[in-house]
Amino acid sequence: MASVKLNNIKKRFGNVDVLHGIDLDIKDGEFVVLIGESGCGKSTLLRLLSGLEDISEGDLYIDDERVNGRSPAKRGIAMVFQSYALYPHMNVFKNMAFGLKISGKDKSHVNEKVIEAAKKLKIDHLLDRLPRELSGGQRQRVAIGRAIVRDPKVFLFDEPLSNLDASLRVQTRVELGKLHQELKATIIYVTHDQVEAMTLGDKIVVMNKGRVEQVGAPLDLYHHPKTQFVAAFIGSPKMNFLQGKVQQADSENSQVVLESGRVIRASIDTSSLNEGDTVQLGLRPEHIALNCSENTFEGTVTLIEHLGELSYLYVDVGQEGELVLKVNGDNQHQAGDRIQFGIKPNYLYLFDHEGKALTRINAHQSPSIPL
Amino acid sequence: MKLIHRLMPSNGLRQLPKSVSVHAVLLAYTIIALFPILVVVINSFKDRRAIFRDPLGLPTHDSFTLVGFQQVLLRSDFGLYSWNSLVVTILAVGLVLLLGAMAAWALTEYKFKGNLLITFLFAMGIMIPIRLGTVSILSLMVDLHLVNTLTALVLVYIAQGLPLAVYILSEFVRTIPKELTEAARCDSVSEYKIFFCIILPLLKPAMATVAVFTMIPIWNDLWFPLILAPGESTRTITLGVQQFVGQYVTDWNSVLSALTMAIVPVLILYTIFSRQLIRGLTSGAVK
Amino acid sequence: MTSSNQHDEKKPFPWHLVFFLGPGLLIYVVFSVYPLLDTLVLSLYQEQDGHSSFVGLQNFITLITDDTWSHAFWNALANNFEFFAIHMLLQNPIGLILAVLLSSPKLRLSSTYRTLIFMPTMLSVVIIGFVWQLLLSPIWGIAENFLYDIGLGQYFDAWLGKESSALITLGFISVWQFVGIPMMLIYATLLNIPDDIIDASVVDGANSFQTFWHIKLPLILPTIAMVSILTFVANFNAFELIYAVKGALAGPNFSTDLMGTFFYRTFFGFQLQQGSASMGAAVATLMFLIILVGVMLFLFFIQRRIQRFQF
Repeated sequence: MASVKLNNIKKRFGNVDVLHGIDLDIKDGEFVVLIGESGCGKSTLLRLLSGLEDISEGDLYIDDERVNGRSPAKRGIAMVFQSYALYPHMNVFKNMAFGLKISGKDKSHVNEKVIEAAKKLKIDHLLDRLPRELSGGQRQRVAIGRAIVRDPKVFLFDEPLSNLDASLRVQTRVELGKLHQELKATIIYVTHDQVEAMTLGDKIVVMNKGRVEQVGAPLDLYHHPKTQFVAAFIGSPKMNFLQGKVQQADSENSQVVLESGRVIRASIDTSSLNEGDTVQLGLRPEHIALNCSENTFEGTVTLIEHLGELSYLYVDVGQEGELVLKVNGDNQHQAGDRIQFGIKPNYLYLFDHEGKALTRINAHQSPSIPL
Repeated sequence: MKLIHRLMPSNGLRQLPKSVSVHAVLLAYTIIALFPILVVVINSFKDRRAIFRDPLGLPTHDSFTLVGFQQVLLRSDFGLYSWNSLVVTILAVGLVLLLGAMAAWALTEYKFKGNLLITFLFAMGIMIPIRLGTVSILSLMVDLHLVNTLTALVLVYIAQGLPLAVYILSEFVRTIPKELTEAARCDSVSEYKIFFCIILPLLKPAMATVAVFTMIPIWNDLWFPLILAPGESTRTITLGVQQFVGQYVTDWNSVLSALTMAIVPVLILYTIFSRQLIRGLTSGAVK
Repeated sequence: MTSSNQHDEKKPFPWHLVFFLGPGLLIYVVFSVYPLLDTLVLSLYQEQDGHSSFVGLQNFITLITDDTWSHAFWNALANNFEFFAIHMLLQNPIGLILAVLLSSPKLRLSSTYRTLIFMPTMLSVVIIGFVWQLLLSPIWGIAENFLYDIGLGQYFDAWLGKESSALITLGFISVWQFVGIPMMLIYATLLNIPDDIIDASVVDGANSFQTFWHIKLPLILPTIAMVSILTFVANFNAFELIYAVKGALAGPNFSTDLMGTFFYRTFFGFQLQQGSASMGAAVATLMFLIILVGVMLFLFFIQRRIQRFQF
């Protein structure tokens, strides 16, 4: 297993810059998730790491060795593809053994490795089957098995769960987590699904337009997003944003006035701003509470989505627009109801006009729903 | 240097030698493929002396002549030959497409006794060349008084083109969602209307592929024109050129011009439609 | 038609079936199926003085054993196998190489190469035959001069006119013309291989040759098999090239005679020999059997083993 270090990695296709200098430190055994919208460069970055694509500029180190010019096989990486990319004319055994065979390992060693990996993944009864005779989940395991047999220093996963149906995806996600604990391998995992990122990652790298927006532990990103982009990306339903102006800049007790003239108190350090500066106020749907009397709003319920244990209320609050609330599932409100709700000052997020986050003071640390 | 840059993909520096050799091989083969055709076309515009003195040179002001073309037009009825080929090809291809689509639809959509047998019969025709039945086709055409008519050629070419057309179009019909026709039947649309208003328009891309595969062998065929319609008034272009070249083999200007007149229209059409044609070939419609 | 016996309401006669299937089937049966079967039957008869009589397999026995026929028959058959072998050894490997090169990732101008290389395939065999006849003609001397230019002048010969080289030369011409077909079909199959699979083999440590040998080649084998059978049928059906370049006599001294030209001569006659419909039918029947056996061998031995792959 190994550490991975990226030093100002850049990628250009012709004249188009796709990655603008990525710096990243990945520790031995870490599970790192690259997340971002499609086209943000996360898959390109993974291909640069794998060696399938040349690095235009910068240095890539695996275990403190610079590996820029090396072919994929010599980097000690293994990759699991979104489409699984199993060789359709080889049975499961041959699929898993191909890499070892190519590297000239002797037969008994290959056999041993493949069978060991197959047992670990519970596909040892499928070794004679062709990929087309397997279910989606089984193909997935073969693809992972093919990576495991080579004892790579680093595993690269490219959206490995996106071709599975919902229930299988959850199950495989759990298994992947367990596998990571068992293998203690360094894993770099690309996804656009924030639930996968939050549940699997030791560390999440949020990417946006070819840049790293923020790196951090899952809860870190949730509580202390550095930018409005990250705040919007992590959390479901998405954070509500309201535009306002700073009315009282303060290191602890700031006040923001919204378009309707409503004044909001927030435990946020705005001492770097001036009064009158434009800001975006962020409210997570799970932090808005019906029985809260601070920073109150009033509005009309336009739509309710019942998810069972909880419901989403879409509330029209007039000039500021619509807010989404996460409420308890047994909530009895109906569309058309007028309701009142509020949010505590230490639940709020605030972003300056460039989208940079301002420091939250006494930020609430538990993401549980304050109903 | 600029050319090399254009040929190189970005970041191709590491693979530069490999990329250069790939281009070298492909370029060499392209020249091999085009050279003979170009030599014939270029020389058809030169006078006899220039043809022999400098066969690879372009026609100059002095050596340029159209005498070969004049001779060809004077001594043979090239216009008529082309017209015959055009009529036969268009009629045959049009009917292959229409009848082929109808048959493909019937064989894939309806279950009936004999379906399998008829499907098999058509499938056999893909592999077994119709030429092998020539002896009987000729006596059949004699009995029907169709020898030396374009009708004979059209009928034979339809029979020749149908098997592949039915096969490709059936494969394509199978990919059309059942819901489309079921929805129409629920609205009690007639079977005829379902085919002509719903299915036929959907088959257009596959029909383009079929048209190309059917057209080329018909236009280029020598065998059936030679046997079924060798008369002067029903000669197709391929037969016409073959007869002309055979007759005036020592008149180089005429021979080169006749070949050029047969080649150039096809190449122009090919250049225009090559995109569709190659898409048809590579689309996987034929597997 | 299947009729339900539960109710007395009978299904109406399926006129739409007749409408859709009738015209195509009629033309196909009358002008293709019937003539083929009729030819098979005709090959068992002999015409004499205007009326024909059943002679069983006599025509075939004559073809294969009678001195006046058998020499020409075996000669044409052997030539045809040689012609086919030239295609298998040259056309398909060259087509494969060109297809692999064309499918190189990020290759510029690949569609231009593809279009140009395929060009000769579009032209009539007759035209191509004449074109090469001119190029190789010692009178014009283009080929000769070219060989002198590259220092191989002494090897030039009137290849098309010599018994020893005429068939091979015609084979080369045919290969030159039709190499576009295997190229295009194999190219299409190569394009259909997902990039991910190639990437996976690169990650697995395979170099370009190993990727080709272990991954790409097995995946295009079905296409190569199909191309081979297409070549087989086309070769045993070839006529135009020989007829255009060498005439129905397939000279010199029948050295370029193929089954197609032999069939034509048998049916229509040549020089002193009179044409015979029933002997022609017998030759056609033999060609039919050869093609049938070839196709069957292909279906049973090759197609059954090589399954198509779905990605």
